[in-house]
Amino acid sequence: MWDKNKENELRQLVKDSGVRLLEENLVQGTWGNISARLDEDHMLVTPTGLDYNHLTPEDMPIVQISDPSVWSDGKKPTSERKIHAAVLASRPEINACIHSHPVFATIMASCRMPLPAFSDELKEVMGGDVAVGAYGLPGTKKLKEGTVAAIRGRNACFMANHGVFCVGRTMDEAFNVLRVLEKNVYEYIRRMTLEKTGKTEYTDDLLFDLFVKSKS
Amino acid sequence: MNKSTELILEYAKELAKQNVAGSGDCISVKSGAEMFASDKDVRLEDLTENDVLKIKLSDAEGEYALHARIYAAKKDVSAVCHCHPAWVAPIARCGATIPAVTDDMTQIVGRNCKTCKNTAKAIVRNLKKRNSTLVSSDGCVTTGRTLNEAYTCVLVLDKAAHCFVASAALKKNVLINFFEAILMNVIYKMKYSKKNQENLQSEEGNS
Repeated sequence: MWDKNKENELRQLVKDSGVRLLEENLVQGTWGNISARLDEDHMLVTPTGLDYNHLTPEDMPIVQISDPSVWSDGKKPTSERKIHAAVLASRPEINACIHSHPVFATIMASCRMPLPAFSDELKEVMGGDVAVGAYGLPGTKKLKEGTVAAIRGRNACFMANHGVFCVGRTMDEAFNVLRVLEKNVYEYIRRMTLEKTGKTEYTDDLLFDLFVKSKS
Repeated sequence: MNKSTELILEYAKELAKQNVAGSGDCISVKSGAEMFASDKDVRLEDLTENDVLKIKLSDAEGEYALHARIYAAKKDVSAVCHCHPAWVAPIARCGATIPAVTDDMTQIVGRNCKTCKNTAKAIVRNLKKRNSTLVSSDGCVTTGRTLNEAYTCVLVLDKAAHCFVASAALKKNVLINFFEAILMNVIYKMKYSKKNQENLQSEEGNS
């Protein structure tokens, strides 16, 4: 059982983290979700389909990790709580998870392309290459299993045509994983574009020229 | 300042902040037999209270007539954004269709987003079964039950356009299955977004 003060602190943290996702443009609208571990069998998660700006700390439901269909307090939990529960159950060192849809990482997810660990930062923060989980509709077992398999031994994975899932020992660490991933994906796209075009300076127009060629 | 003007100013600033605003943008909200719209000759980032126009739907002309026609054709629509985001505009210029590249696009926008001719008639026709359309040699028009929804559509559409361009350029587009895309769109409208839209409708004053 956990301390009530700790629960209140984590409620505020989850609420603030949702707003942070929006403010840093790491997600759009009500999409994405966040969890924070309360103890080995319980987590706080964001509710389903509600604007982060309008949520209160008390809106965050408590979900049982061993059986995520069981929840109490707060509003109806995110339909992706099964992914959060499976990751927290299999990784006792992890205390915070973020699922979001940042622009550059979603590009990798939409072409289902893994990110090689091309920088020391990626090796250190992600733990190696970043894989792509199998496609599944939101809230399905297929999406859960694909995500859990892809994140094994890493701190992040892409979710095919969807977004990313990032984890950390703390919420700050999970946010750092997300930011480092987004930054390195941008760098990878920039490098690939220069390599394909033979140019030395990146502009978005180069990417668009490649797109036009690919369609002609 | 009335609630509709406040909303227009708030979302004009947000669109500019998210780098999806350009010249010729115009956003509006319906309020009974009238609409409040941003002056199309003023950039969204520069918009002030004096640049928010109150227009009778029956007297609207030019850009505002387009908004009025959309409100007349789609009774569930309370807000329209006509914008020119960086990744959407070039796709609209070449007349392409953004296919189902991301889950959030299929949910909020639909299974694809087609380019139509730059006429009010063609735009309204393209919006019949969708809440967004690309407009040839122009940008996009998005609609919503609330201004928040139309605004989110612009963000998600621009991200989908970016994903479409970059994934085709670097590897290849892997698209979401047709039936799964339709299913997600229906679930979003009927279930996932329902509560949030109801909350926003009451907050935006158009419930």
